Amino acid sequence: MTQSPPRSPRDGPIFELRGVSKSFPGVQALSDVSFFLNPGEVHALIGENGAGKSTLIKIMTGIYAPDQGEILLDGQPVQIRNSMEAQTLGIAAIYQEPMVFPDLNVAENIFISHADRGPVVRWGRMYKDAREILDRLDVKLDVRQPARGLTLAAQQAVEIAKAISLDVRVLIMDEPTASLSAHEVAQLFRIVNNLRNQGVAILFIGHRLEEVFQIADRVTVLRDGRWISSAPRADVTTEQVIREMVGRQIDDFFAKTETNRGELLASVRGLTRDGVFSDMNFDVYKGEVLGFAGLVGARRTDVGLALFGINPATSGEIVYEDKSVNIQSPEQAMRLGIAYVTEDRRQLGLVLPMSVVVNVTLPTLPRYLNRLGLVKRSQEAATARTYQEKLSIRTPSLNGEVGKLSGGNQQKVVLSKWLNMEPKLLILDEPTRGIDVRTKAEVHHIINDLAAQGLAIILISSDLPEVLAMSDRVIVMREGRQMGIFPRDEATQETIMTTAMGQVGTANGAGLNGQPATEGGSADSEVPL
Amino acid sequence: MSFLMRRFRPEQLRVLVLVGVLVAILIFFQTQVEGFVSPRTVNRLQTSIAIITVVAVAETLVILTRNIDLSVGSIVGFAAYFVGTQLSRNNDMSPLLIVLMAISVGGVLGAINGVLVSYGRVPSIIVTLGTLAIYRTVLVEFSNAQTVLTSRLPEWLQTLPSINLASVGSFDVRLIFAMALAVVIIFQLALTYLPYGRRLYAVGSNPDAARIAGFPSQRIVFFAFVLCGALSGLAGFMFLGQYGNVTVVAGQGMELQAIAAAVVGGVSILGGTGSAFGALLGAALIGLLEQGLRRMPQIDEFWRYALLGFLILIAVAVDTVVMNRLRAIWARNELQMAAGSDQATEQEKPAHVA
Repeated sequence: MTQSPPRSPRDGPIFELRGVSKSFPGVQALSDVSFFLNPGEVHALIGENGAGKSTLIKIMTGIYAPDQGEILLDGQPVQIRNSMEAQTLGIAAIYQEPMVFPDLNVAENIFISHADRGPVVRWGRMYKDAREILDRLDVKLDVRQPARGLTLAAQQAVEIAKAISLDVRVLIMDEPTASLSAHEVAQLFRIVNNLRNQGVAILFIGHRLEEVFQIADRVTVLRDGRWISSAPRADVTTEQVIREMVGRQIDDFFAKTETNRGELLASVRGLTRDGVFSDMNFDVYKGEVLGFAGLVGARRTDVGLALFGINPATSGEIVYEDKSVNIQSPEQAMRLGIAYVTEDRRQLGLVLPMSVVVNVTLPTLPRYLNRLGLVKRSQEAATARTYQEKLSIRTPSLNGEVGKLSGGNQQKVVLSKWLNMEPKLLILDEPTRGIDVRTKAEVHHIINDLAAQGLAIILISSDLPEVLAMSDRVIVMREGRQMGIFPRDEATQETIMTTAMGQVGTANGAGLNGQPATEGGSADSEVPL
Repeated sequence: MSFLMRRFRPEQLRVLVLVGVLVAILIFFQTQVEGFVSPRTVNRLQTSIAIITVVAVAETLVILTRNIDLSVGSIVGFAAYFVGTQLSRNNDMSPLLIVLMAISVGGVLGAINGVLVSYGRVPSIIVTLGTLAIYRTVLVEFSNAQTVLTSRLPEWLQTLPSINLASVGSFDVRLIFAMALAVVIIFQLALTYLPYGRRLYAVGSNPDAARIAGFPSQRIVFFAFVLCGALSGLAGFMFLGQYGNVTVVAGQGMELQAIAAAVVGGVSILGGTGSAFGALLGAALIGLLEQGLRRMPQIDEFWRYALLGFLILIAVAVDTVVMNRLRAIWARNELQMAAGSDQATEQEKPAHVA
């Protein structure tokens, strides 16, 4: 990788944010963030899930307006009211999932946003210009090919070509490497270097630290919506960056009380879903909370979905209560006593326009039928009341619409629904996302009680302090692979984050996968820091 | 071969596939019906598909944006009745004014759909299901359920359906079909060469990307509905010219025929693909089937309808299968070419050394 040519200091930043804040109901997404981009610089922006990176991009591209603060372009304050204006100002963004038009061909995709190419589309010229831009990027693509069917990397190249055709000066790349192969990443970086040499300022958002350090000239860390640091790459180390990313307080979390691990419930060996995750090896014990940590895209949810049979695994073995099982459907999983509380409560967890009672008894309805096959309403209501008391669901009426309840109470209804099934294994996916602090603590209490009663719990959460506080053991995943299992006393924010970002190297992961027999003990926690 | 494959894409060959199906059907009917392929059939086909072709082009514009317009039949009836009433009151109005009037009436009705869909954010299927009924009811109210009579229309309009633009042997080119053909050509060119036309495809192809690209998506969709209404208005004028008698049920059910023609012609109901020319071919295909089945006396009238529906399904299925095949062949060819160029560069090196 070539270094960018040194710039004279009077060039000044091309783009600058000063004291930008943005809040949404209940969340301060960004507070007082300032940083700048120099021309011909690749500036890496890193932070944990929910650090405010996405909000920042949306402000830079005019999708959100900041509540406070200034945006400066060439030292002049500007207003970016929509993405069209951002484009006119020379600010463009490309996303992890490229935004191409599948039915239009490559050349059209590059020029579709142009309003200055005359009143009539000149196809011949458009193909020629498109070819020229792609040549400049050293990308080989047939410009007449429809974007449908292009690889993600090719689609990204098309989007970069589009940005160039619009004379981009500030290019935001939101996790562009997340779904690329190593070869494609190298090609992308060649393009990025090419752009840097042409004086484009690039804001590069990435989760893989080794990549970030390979491509970036400067590194800015965000945490909980705040600016933490900006420094030239040469002046920072990975350890330092990780420390800055995770420096959160855990005090205000409910800490799990130690429980005695019960007997083995399930052993998972070599569980794989082709193209999604591979070679997962772990044991689940009764009375234990097994946490799943990782960054966005680590595929933790997919493991949960496989265990519950929604997107079944394609290979590997699950031994459940001493029997080998092949879980192919949610019905089957439920018969085995596995329950899954989805992360998408509103879409998948609840029937929002129906009552609390109906939602609670939905998966167990056959139990509430009388001889004629009609639903026994009073018995249903009794069950709902029991859970209302147990989990203290705050609702004016159990017959009220679930959609009208607060997020936290909705989550408790979902929990009731699955607990009523009397599961042996409860998979919780982001159980406290988007709910208030008080209810969050209540949910943590509930999890703790359930584990104490001997339920096996898998806790998938992007909230790192939560995983650490609640789990007896923590599995760290990264891009569909199991990177390590840490017992409670060895799981610190730094170790987890270092592992989640792949800093331990893949060799360790491979070693782990090679010796599944040691799983569950402390042998697998020998992760060098 | 590989040059041709680079020059043309499977999507462009779809038209050829349709033409192939069309020819196959012609051959089939020729074997079943005495003297089916004749000037008479061709001439009759022209008049029978002219109106539906225009409406199918109108519908195509809306479906491209991932919307649907179910009210086109009512708009056709409304416009036909509206200009018919004006003409029977005043026979001296100029033909041009009448055509413009029909187009604007349709445009206004289309604009109402467009406002509700793109600015009111109501799904188009609901909006136009509503206006399908409303426009028809307004028409009934407006007309006192009376019929526009051919006898009270001016001469030039009465003779319109039988006007021939040109004749080649016994093959005629009917004026009404020429109008439809003009609409097809104009909109085919507009969809291919105007930035607005390309954006119709873009909006339907990926609405999220259109928003992020900063397109005025709402305006684009709105104008698609206005154009659809305007073309339906024009079809209303043609309806008046062709049938003369216009009752309150004029154009009823036409939306389904138009959607069928568009879909058979390769318009994806999910938006983003299709063309005006395809809509013409779709209309021709359906018209041809109807003509052919009508002339097979062994087929009951009720069964004809079911058979037509069945054949539409087959046409779409064949199209899908053939397109998938073509795409697979193209993909394989691309792989081979990529591999071939790699080999070529590898072979070059030793040659240089030598």
